[in-house]
Amino acid sequence: MSKTHRSEPSTRGFFGRIADHRLDYLYILPALGVMMLVIAYPIYYTVYLSFFRTPPSLAMQDKIFNGIDNYITILTAESFHEVTINTMVWTFWSTFMAMILGLGAALVLNREFVGRGVLRGLLLIPYVISAVAASYIWRWIYHSDFGVLGAILLQLGLIDDKLNLLDNVDLVLPSLIVVNVWKEFPFAMIMILAGLQTVPDQLLNAARVDGAGAFERFRHVTLPHLKGVLVITVLLLFVANLNHFTIPWIMTGGGPAGASDIWITQIYQIAFGRIRFGIASAYSVILFGVMVVIGYFYVKALTGDDDRRHG
Amino acid sequence: MNSRFRITRWHVMGWIFLATLLFFAVAPMVWMLITSFKSQFAALKYPPELIPQNPNLEQYERLLSPKNDVGRQFLRYMLNSIWVSTATTVFGVAVAVPAAYAFARFRFPGRKALFFSVLFRNMFPAVVFLMPLFIMMRWMGLVNTYTSLIITYLTFGLPLSIWLLKGFYDNIPVELEQAARIDGCTRFQAFYMVVMPLSAPGIIATAIYSFITAWNEYVYALTFLNDDEKLTLPVGLQRFFAEYATNWPGLMAASFIMSVPVVVMFLILQKYFVRALTEGAVKA
Repeated sequence: MSKTHRSEPSTRGFFGRIADHRLDYLYILPALGVMMLVIAYPIYYTVYLSFFRTPPSLAMQDKIFNGIDNYITILTAESFHEVTINTMVWTFWSTFMAMILGLGAALVLNREFVGRGVLRGLLLIPYVISAVAASYIWRWIYHSDFGVLGAILLQLGLIDDKLNLLDNVDLVLPSLIVVNVWKEFPFAMIMILAGLQTVPDQLLNAARVDGAGAFERFRHVTLPHLKGVLVITVLLLFVANLNHFTIPWIMTGGGPAGASDIWITQIYQIAFGRIRFGIASAYSVILFGVMVVIGYFYVKALTGDDDRRHG
Repeated sequence: MNSRFRITRWHVMGWIFLATLLFFAVAPMVWMLITSFKSQFAALKYPPELIPQNPNLEQYERLLSPKNDVGRQFLRYMLNSIWVSTATTVFGVAVAVPAAYAFARFRFPGRKALFFSVLFRNMFPAVVFLMPLFIMMRWMGLVNTYTSLIITYLTFGLPLSIWLLKGFYDNIPVELEQAARIDGCTRFQAFYMVVMPLSAPGIIATAIYSFITAWNEYVYALTFLNDDEKLTLPVGLQRFFAEYATNWPGLMAASFIMSVPVVVMFLILQKYFVRALTEGAVKA
């Protein structure tokens, strides 16, 4: 029994080593089991289905193999260009703004002061509440007739007509991005705050003694230590934003006239609105592709020095 | 030396920035709360009353009283959410703890590849899995059951849970377990009596994370459940909106009630969460 857990290198081959460690696998078996069921099979099935023309019914019989027709349909669709641009704008600006606000908040909160814990807690609340609730709160704030934002701006004389953000083709996407940033900047903040705790005080003090100003200390001491965390946070946010469904779906449903439609809302609409699982699958595979490329860098950043530590 | 305590330009800018950010973060929630104390009529006044003239708890009484239809429905959704989130949390922790421990301690072949594949899951959008999972759940007869939601939620929470917990186990010296084994503990006893208590903060953080994620999840609940009685709160909230579209105070009160459990839980336990991130995310 206990022999299986010895960690000295075995001289046996790959399968021999697997046999030596067979009990170790029991620990990960439950995790692996559900992951296979809920992740591996769906990936396979999505790719498979993307090559079929599916009938508009949920029973997946009578599907017809049609090669890459689904992909051609998507890439040549009139709306694809606009939706792709929306997706890029949404993903880039959400990530960028959340990082800026998160970094700023983390730098200020990293100092010791009375009430720091309370402040951190208050700033974290948007991150914790449900995206559905958040969407309704902001819909109410943005409301074209009774919204508090429009009323205040009007009162201050900053606008001269009622504010109709969510029905305006040019303003709808930025308005949604604000909501998204509100919801996720605390995540960036907490990650960066955790990263800041790894910056050694001695280094900062040494830099101070050498006469480095606040900005130089940040640039030459803090930033290099933060690099890893920043990379991971950006990638996590990037992926989360690329796949964010709830806020656009609840707030506008992609409208008006597709002005806030992004890939993920399109996929949902094609799959569960129009019941065209084949095309929706092909769309998902395209998204997969983008994700795998990003995922490669993500895993690399995440586990970069794991090899050196564990050998 | 005293430059450390001098108020610099950077400090002032930092405070202004933080105050603005605090307003941005908190004002929408304050507005939710203010609106929820108004009557339906008062909420549709223009310009809006920043401080309600006749604040009342009418909406809360309605939502939390089992005596009327709205309240019965809302409380039903809440019970559903509590059940799904609790089950997800319990099963999630039970699956994540041994897996994280194995990844941290054992050197079985394929360990690294498996760990990567666990993390890789995070790359794939929940919505992309929605369709095949929906077809699969239909096929297994699980559509419109909580089982389908619990399995899905628990899997989607696993990568982060395993990753966070692994960070904790990496930091617990192996010597502690070895000492326990020398004292006659079995491997499992050593794990249960020595490692588990030391990793309690990590487990708590993982549990909060699972609970909050399940509590707030929307897309899967929207797709997998179609029975009105079975809905969880986020989808229930949407149902409310469709039915009582102009009752903004009611919607805000429902949003508030729904946010209270997770916010309170998170605020009380945030230090574990922050620590788990520090141990896991930064060092991993």
